[in-house]
Amino acid sequence: MNPANLQTNTVPIDSALSAQPAPRSPERRAAPRPWQTPPAPVPAPHLDDYESIVGAAELSELRFLARELKGKTVKMVNSTAVGGGVAEMLNRLVPLLSEVEVATHWDVITGGNDFFEVTKAFHNALHGAPYELTRAAQEIFLAYNEQNRQRMQFTEDTVVIHDPQPAALIAARKDREPQANWIWRCHIDLSNPNPQVWGFLRPFIEQFDVAIFSSQSFARQLPIRQYLFYPCIDPLSEKNKELDESVVRKTCDEFGIDRSRPIVTQVSRFDRLKDPVGVVQAFKMARKYVDCQLVLAGGGASDDPEGAAVLKEVQEAAGNDPDVIILDLPPWCALEINALQRASTIVVQKSIKEGFGLTVTEALWKGKPTVAGAVGGIPNQIIHKLTGMLVHSIEGCAYQIRYLLTHPEFAAQLGKNGREHVKENFLMTTNVRRWLLLLRLLQNRTR
Amino acid sequence: MSSAATIAPARTPVKPFYFNTSAHLLRITTQKANTLAEFLEALRVCPDDSIFQHTFRTLQEHHFIREGFSNDFAHWALAACNQPGLAEQLANVDVREFTSLSELRERFVQLVDKHLELNPSDGARVAEETFYFCAADTVMMPTNFVAATMQDFAKGLREVSVHSIHHHFIEARLRLKLMSNDFSQWLHEDVGLTDAARALNRIDIYTATLEDVRRQIVRVVERALA
Repeated sequence: MNPANLQTNTVPIDSALSAQPAPRSPERRAAPRPWQTPPAPVPAPHLDDYESIVGAAELSELRFLARELKGKTVKMVNSTAVGGGVAEMLNRLVPLLSEVEVATHWDVITGGNDFFEVTKAFHNALHGAPYELTRAAQEIFLAYNEQNRQRMQFTEDTVVIHDPQPAALIAARKDREPQANWIWRCHIDLSNPNPQVWGFLRPFIEQFDVAIFSSQSFARQLPIRQYLFYPCIDPLSEKNKELDESVVRKTCDEFGIDRSRPIVTQVSRFDRLKDPVGVVQAFKMARKYVDCQLVLAGGGASDDPEGAAVLKEVQEAAGNDPDVIILDLPPWCALEINALQRASTIVVQKSIKEGFGLTVTEALWKGKPTVAGAVGGIPNQIIHKLTGMLVHSIEGCAYQIRYLLTHPEFAAQLGKNGREHVKENFLMTTNVRRWLLLLRLLQNRTR
Repeated sequence: MSSAATIAPARTPVKPFYFNTSAHLLRITTQKANTLAEFLEALRVCPDDSIFQHTFRTLQEHHFIREGFSNDFAHWALAACNQPGLAEQLANVDVREFTSLSELRERFVQLVDKHLELNPSDGARVAEETFYFCAADTVMMPTNFVAATMQDFAKGLREVSVHSIHHHFIEARLRLKLMSNDFSQWLHEDVGLTDAARALNRIDIYTATLEDVRRQIVRVVERALA
């Protein structure tokens, strides 16, 4: 591999997938890529599979917590069965709860394009985007919720509604199971919602027993109890499981990454809120003092016009620099992302706005010293100078990259602390623990 | 520690030690603060569960950090308010010196109040980040470990989760209302190993991870067994 021969430093996966020669190292790509098509889904792990990670005592505590809930039933309701973090999380959580005999059923609401257009607009508005709530939008939202209410059964002991789309299903509480506990699990940032949309949704939310948020800063003043459930990662998923060194090496070879030199990586879609251009600038500032390469691994450029525009901006910022490696990956490249994160010397997530920032969680779990923007849920994960470095500017990011690359012992300690922080707070097993605790607390309250 | 009349002969436990543990759920309360003055007001009225969460419980959540983290109040004073002097004072509050949350709350109130009295202009300065008062809802539960002998006790200490170590060694004083912990109480009252019981109370929890603390406890117990 000779990076100097390259015309561009971007590896466009789509073109590589279509058997055209890849620009960086066609000679290394004789074999078909494993990620040419989405891989078959991996079977969900069992609780015992986590023992080597969290220990037998932790699993024993989970089983004890579940004992009092044996035979209880839970229904999870959200708006999509595939794609997105909520579906990914439910895919793991539902079987694990069922395994400890808390029978958990997952139902997905249905709706036409008009419904999902309205809920997409609601989603953006709840994140603070300007939006004029019309009567028509309200009617569409309510009509589809009513349709789903009539279609679905609500016979479980606890009903958990995820996000705003199915929030009006709370109407079913009155006429079906008034004794059931209803929980609203909000995965989005409500710290600065559009007042019209929040004003419309709020009366529904107030009818729940409990609301759950992903960060204390996302919560609202509500007359119901609010809990903090951090998002989590699954340490056994393709993106986070331990990898054989040969897989990491092969992935780096494939992408033309030189493992004999420090690697700085940001994994995130090509989105201005992730500031990939700022990362390139920070990298260039840092490299004046320390030798390193930058890997920007993301996606979203092929199916999103804005993503394509951002990718172009990143390429322009990188210029012909052979040490900036830009990877536009399809969404099913979890194993490759895992390998890239593990190969990295430092991971960066220089977001300007962020939800929780699960890519930070992933990096910390892999023991990587991490430099990240102090936005959204990132400060919950990165305690400055203890589990990572928080930054507020491109210059700050450049400095921390330099500092960590030249202070490997400190960087290693950050990585070690970061992994422990994830183990304690942001793993799937911790999520199961939180659900069991909440179900027990609610059960004891209603006795 | 209680009267000598209840003390058992050394190394033969009068009754077994039951290893328990506690699990906590983080509740978001209605109190929050954007300035030190707001922080002081909230500190006075927040529920006891909040004081527990931001002191005892946060120590547990960050049990893997050896230095630089003692409680959320100190961390916020430094990171969001840029008040290193106040942060040092808040960080110096040792939860083991308190057997009730109201006393602990009063200590923090005194420190912040004193700081604002001496530096009144600091009260209204807007912090870089809001402090959200959370609280812990707690469920206690048994573990599979019961120690009828000192050997079982050492084994349990090695194998229970760090949550259980925190439960017995750090949180216990709130239950016992004593400047001690469950392990020391049992060693003293039911095994008669008073020196070992005292040695445990000298372990520094603020300069060690909870795993380090566990190792030190085990070492003391093994030494007593030798």
